[in-house]
Amino acid sequence: MHLIWEELRAAMPLIWHGNPNLFSIIWFTVQVAAVATAIATLIGLPVGLALGLERFPGRHLLRSLANASLALPPVLVGAILYLLMVPRAPLGSLQLIWTRQAVFIAQTILALPYIVALSAAAVQALPPGLLAQARLLGAARRHVWALALREARIGVLAAVIAALGTSLSEVAAVTILGGNIYGHDQTLASATLYEVDGAHYADAVAIAIVLIVLILVLMCGLGVLQQHGNGIRLRFRTST
Amino acid sequence: MNEPTGAEVLLRCERVSVRRGRREVVSDVSAELRAGEIVALLGPNGAGKSTLLDALAGALPVAQGQVDRRGRVAIALQSPDLARRSALANVMLALAWWGVPHRERSRRARDALRAIGAEHLAGRPAAALSGGERRRVHLARAIAVRPDVLLLDEPFAGLDAEVRANLLEDALSALRSTTRATLVVVHDRAEAWALADRLLILINGRLMAAGPPRELLEQPPTVDVARFLGFDGQLDDGDEMVLTRPAHVTLDPAGPLEARVTRVIPIEDGVRLELGLDHGRLHCLAPLPAPRPGEIVRMRLDGGARFPIIHSNHHDQLNVARSP
Repeated sequence: MHLIWEELRAAMPLIWHGNPNLFSIIWFTVQVAAVATAIATLIGLPVGLALGLERFPGRHLLRSLANASLALPPVLVGAILYLLMVPRAPLGSLQLIWTRQAVFIAQTILALPYIVALSAAAVQALPPGLLAQARLLGAARRHVWALALREARIGVLAAVIAALGTSLSEVAAVTILGGNIYGHDQTLASATLYEVDGAHYADAVAIAIVLIVLILVLMCGLGVLQQHGNGIRLRFRTST
Repeated sequence: MNEPTGAEVLLRCERVSVRRGRREVVSDVSAELRAGEIVALLGPNGAGKSTLLDALAGALPVAQGQVDRRGRVAIALQSPDLARRSALANVMLALAWWGVPHRERSRRARDALRAIGAEHLAGRPAAALSGGERRRVHLARAIAVRPDVLLLDEPFAGLDAEVRANLLEDALSALRSTTRATLVVVHDRAEAWALADRLLILINGRLMAAGPPRELLEQPPTVDVARFLGFDGQLDDGDEMVLTRPAHVTLDPAGPLEARVTRVIPIEDGVRLELGLDHGRLHCLAPLPAPRPGEIVRMRLDGGARFPIIHSNHHDQLNVARSP
């Protein structure tokens, strides 16, 4: 306990006085989380809506796979991507290994299952009569999707929160693909691991505190948005 | 079967059968809906009413037969699930789905809400509406789109008596249109009497009777239809059986029939009596003070439906033919 207290005391000045590298890590972490969540949402939301709303052969299997991918170990994703990106591998010519782009790709792939599985579950949980009635009154597929998205917005926002959470805190795939190189492609989570490995505990604690504050701020913001879901004015064009 | 003539036929089904999985839920149904009429589709639970409605709307494929539709068909499902927005916005959304131009939606939505007595609910969020109010908005959606054929699946289900009576009264005027044909699935016979020009009675997936309510009540075509229409009394009279509704039986000290009261069931305005006779069992309504169980009473019959009996060896296995 005494040791933790000492490290906390030592960490505080590091945060107050700032450190150019720390700000760079915070900025890169926010960038990775935002871009990965945005791309995962852009790709995953249509897939999730299709899985939740449409009827096609194999949809049950695909829903099961989407749910199973929630338990995908990040280290496994990192290892597979690494094997695909090394020289002479299919993606080797792109020279992505130990680059920031590789970190973005890894985080996007890890965020994707949350968006797909949770948004599919959110629209499936809507009252079945609501969407059936829309179809029977002539709603086109885009109208039904827009209605489902609007009605299930609280659940869809939960999917985005989960995706953002994993993008902020994941460390294994980032380390494998980015190399966790000081001053280059570290996120707050991977930088914490780096400092612990180097026995710089005060730095590790300082970075961890910043990470926790960042997670709390972003999650609370989204949480407030979610709790006031009924008041959010999401407008989709419904005119034909 | 006994269709009205003159007005344009807007929907016709001929020998339609519908399957759900391997089970044939609707068998060999033929019927017509004409402009200006309100038809009630009645039947016991599991008779296939909602399935037939889905097939008529084109939401379910027919296994056999043919459905011809003239103009657009709208169906209002039994469950009044509304989007999380205001009542007016819900109706406007339905108009958008239907393809109504944006500039007309607000006026038509308000007109429909007014027609069904829900204008005061226009700005109310769907989540704040009661069951009866949700049903009004649900009906307004269906009316607002102005379909040529309107199919309503149990629009008054799950409402208490007072709310239902009020909604029924408003719906009666809102649904009446000279250019539209309306088919309403109802569970309660009283709703059918209040709304419909014509009844279709579906039992075990088959259309067993069609015709004006009064006509069917006076002369039900089969025993099954009679039983479904509330003919719960039965007297054997030689080669015929007489089926009666409680309204056909009147307690009368000078009446020709004698019976023992076997059961007394209190109802709102008196009692419902179950009467045992040598050759049958009848039911009647009586004011208070009512006879007690075991008491001997006299009565007379004012009507009832007669069906020939084809005799078999056992009393419980009477085969009853269609009435002539």
